[in-house]
Amino acid sequence: MINRQSLPVKVIRVALLTLWMLITLFPLYWILVTSFKDPGSIAAFPLRYLPQPWSIENYTSLFSKSSFGVYMGNSLLVSLCAAAAGTLISLLSAYVLARFEFRAKGALLLAFLVTQMIPAFIALGPLYVMMVNLNLVDRKGGLALLYIAMCIPFCTIMLRGFFENVPDALEEAAMVDGCSRLSALFRIIVPVMTPGIMAAFIFNFVNCWNELFLSVTLMNSDSNKTIPTALNGFISSFNIEWGPMAAASVLTIIPTMVMFALASRWIVEGLTSGAVKG
Amino acid sequence: MKRRQFILAAASLTAATTLPGCSSGSSSSGGGGDVTLQMVESLTNPTRSEVLKKLLAEFESANPGIKVQLVSPPTEQADQKIQQMLQAGSGADVLEVRDLTVGPFSNNGWLYDMTADVEKWDGFANLTPQAQKYSKHTDGKTYFIPYGFYGLSLFYRTDLIKEAGFSAPPTNWDELLTQASKIQDPSKNRYGYAFRGGKNGNGNVVACIEAYVGDTIDRENAFKTKDGKSIFVAPEAQQAVDTYFQLFTKASPPSSVAWGYPEMVEGFNNGSTAFLLQDPEVIATINASKSITKDQWNTAPLLTGPSGKASQPVATAGWGVAKSSKNTEAAVKLVEFLSGDASTTFAKENSLVPILKTAGADEFYKTGPWASYVTMTEQPDTYLTVVQPRGVAWWTEWSTKADNDVQQVLINKMSTAELLKSWDEFWVKKWNG
Amino acid sequence: MSVTDHHSKKKPFTIRKGLSLLGFLAPAVVVVAVFTYYPLLRGSQMAFRQWNLFDLRNTPWVGFSNFATLLSNPTFYTVLKNSVIWVVGSIVPQLLIGFGLALLLRRRFRFRGIYQALVFFPWAVSGFLIGILFRWMFNGEFGVINDLLRKTGLIETNIAWLATPKTAMFAVIVANVWYGVTFFAIMILAALQSVPEELLEAGAIDGAGKVRTLFQIVIPFIRTTLLLTVLLRVIWVFNFPEIIYGMTGGGPAQQTHIVTSWMINFTQQGDYGVASALGLIVVAVLIIFTSFYLMALKERDAR
Repeated sequence: MINRQSLPVKVIRVALLTLWMLITLFPLYWILVTSFKDPGSIAAFPLRYLPQPWSIENYTSLFSKSSFGVYMGNSLLVSLCAAAAGTLISLLSAYVLARFEFRAKGALLLAFLVTQMIPAFIALGPLYVMMVNLNLVDRKGGLALLYIAMCIPFCTIMLRGFFENVPDALEEAAMVDGCSRLSALFRIIVPVMTPGIMAAFIFNFVNCWNELFLSVTLMNSDSNKTIPTALNGFISSFNIEWGPMAAASVLTIIPTMVMFALASRWIVEGLTSGAVKG
Repeated sequence: MKRRQFILAAASLTAATTLPGCSSGSSSSGGGGDVTLQMVESLTNPTRSEVLKKLLAEFESANPGIKVQLVSPPTEQADQKIQQMLQAGSGADVLEVRDLTVGPFSNNGWLYDMTADVEKWDGFANLTPQAQKYSKHTDGKTYFIPYGFYGLSLFYRTDLIKEAGFSAPPTNWDELLTQASKIQDPSKNRYGYAFRGGKNGNGNVVACIEAYVGDTIDRENAFKTKDGKSIFVAPEAQQAVDTYFQLFTKASPPSSVAWGYPEMVEGFNNGSTAFLLQDPEVIATINASKSITKDQWNTAPLLTGPSGKASQPVATAGWGVAKSSKNTEAAVKLVEFLSGDASTTFAKENSLVPILKTAGADEFYKTGPWASYVTMTEQPDTYLTVVQPRGVAWWTEWSTKADNDVQQVLINKMSTAELLKSWDEFWVKKWNG
Repeated sequence: MSVTDHHSKKKPFTIRKGLSLLGFLAPAVVVVAVFTYYPLLRGSQMAFRQWNLFDLRNTPWVGFSNFATLLSNPTFYTVLKNSVIWVVGSIVPQLLIGFGLALLLRRRFRFRGIYQALVFFPWAVSGFLIGILFRWMFNGEFGVINDLLRKTGLIETNIAWLATPKTAMFAVIVANVWYGVTFFAIMILAALQSVPEELLEAGAIDGAGKVRTLFQIVIPFIRTTLLLTVLLRVIWVFNFPEIIYGMTGGGPAQQTHIVTSWMINFTQQGDYGVASALGLIVVAVLIIFTSFYLMALKERDAR
């Protein structure tokens, strides 16, 4: 795979990559164009593939009419905290589940998998009552807590898979060298697993970033709203406010795109070649 | 060594459960001795929330010591959130109650009965008879005071009907079919009628049937005729649905099988569709359109049937108080405020039929697209206002079923006769319990 | 449960080690138990009670009657069939495209970082937004997809995508494929990094073709990740009504409903009893699927 590619292979490769990029990007392009059309001409028909005239009204109204900056800040804070904490906790549990045999292991894994199968609305009522009793309603910490709980099962399952790809001879050797299990985990395995961990973190982040139902249920005040709630707010019973919604979507997608860009660098290059040789 | 592992694990758990860095204080605390009301809306939209905030600021400055926090969940999720709050008995003092939700909410004992407060309130006399009527639930108690009413009118394109050789907009369903069919020309991207085949598509079918049975309809239960049978077995009903579904085959965009409100409004808004049957809320949206100018469109009264009558199904929503509220007195005060002069501001900004008698005299409601609503009010014998059984427990079940049946007819999997038969059976079965 | 047992040296236990491992597991278990399982179990009782929004003062236990209501409803079997079409139709293309993309991205090239950020972005869009966005693009008269197809001469007259059951199903699956490729691509890309270069070189020296290297070395090596990813995606896609709800609402005439989008109907009708029963049926179906899936894998491992 490291030898040079022949020209036809290269052409096919570039063609495929370009084709997929066009398919993926078209909806984004459409949102982007819509966000720069002035509100009255979004519905114009026949369709216009470029805004005429260009207008930034949708963006300005987003900040002047609503506290979109605050929502973004809230989403960023809650999602980052929850994704980081969720990944860390899952790393520990995934390690145990990947490396050791014990009686409850199968049941535990199944219990984690089952959380992915149950429709959320079943839990929403009791959850709200519980959060009221814990005095965690309308608090970012409360929401972050629920997001951590949401992240853990999926993240554990996923990281466990990555642990399986790393030979355990690696930490055996380290522990023989006198490292504790924990430091073996963090000093030896974690660096090798960086791609998987980054992938897990990113997925946690995106899941939290887009989460709607828990956020709507838990948050009341405008100053605690997150982005999905605000985005959904543009759909009312008699109208979809396409302009501001498109603008908000563009702004929502940007941070995640940046994350993907940074992370994919880690995912593909985080591994120093040879570390896995065991 | 092992202890360190424990400590780290325990520390990460503590971090997870407390997250000091992530939590910021609760915002529900009002300053010393003040009352803070939480008010939850349901039919949320950004413009409306802004209007509400202005009105609430007025209320706060007129009532020092009362603060109001407006909670504006997205419409789609709002009623579920309100349910959770009411069920948990926490979070809502004042809330938006709809004709669709007042039944279950009051039945579960979640709503405060305002009857006694309303008796003491002088503002009640200023409400229109309709508003007074709808402020009483079927059990005679007052759970909410309407903030306005929704009702259908026909939005039409003045220029397109002129081009097609008609001098006036249609007044009945047959004329609508004729005019819309003549205007329809898909090769030019021109369509007659913005058909509703998707969500809530059953509403216009029922409106059409109700117009056709105008002579015999039971106005207090618009799904029944005066002889106690359902309107769906009336002989005129067959004629009504046949005309109505011809609108789809002859005069509507083919993909309107799946059209909900956004597509319908958009189709009219972008200038490609000549007729649209909708609530007044749409007026504001169309006013903002740059594809059609104000002299290109108008509204006409609701379409009549062969009897020369039309039935206007009234829909409403309003403000009520949660039984679990610890600040009932302040909450009632807020509801009364919102049902006073503030209601006219609210109705105007949101394009609603207002609840105050004085609002009828307002120039705003006499001109332009609103004129047809005045016409309808002035001719109560032609434009009957009727009460649909929107509060029954099975209303949403009905709505889902009926929408499904409408689409079955549209994709030729069901005949109109079968549709009527199954609708009749549905209601008779429910009425007989 | 264990997908792979090829790490043969599982160590014997001592109490101290057991305790320290318990410490590793505790945070995850406690958080999930308290904030996920407790409310879920509390909520699940609705499935066995008459639990209707219209009368929550009166919620008697009714045993399995909510389940019986569902099983006697012919729509139940339609939505079950649709769920299978939806899951298979979405996941197979997602996996193939995702795998292909991961292989193409493995090789370093200029602007790779930017390229990745661009093509991975669909995963960053929320399901509900995809739903209304694609509903708009697939609109028969005003939609951009028909417009493009006409301009490129692929069609002459508009296709009413969402107006017939077959085209509507196709449209929702297209939207879902668009959305889900990223997950596979990233997971597989991350897993590919753990394939030792020597193995590939050895394969190349052996004169094994690219395709053979792929099937005999690469895929077996990242098998665990691959299989778990597929499993997770099956579970998620089965439970993912947002796109369908937003694009078609299950229509026309309920022909694009999957189990979970149909369930939304019941919650909207206030019938939480039946809705939860349906939710538990979903769980049962998925547990059965998972067990068979994992069992089949174990058997293959044992061979």
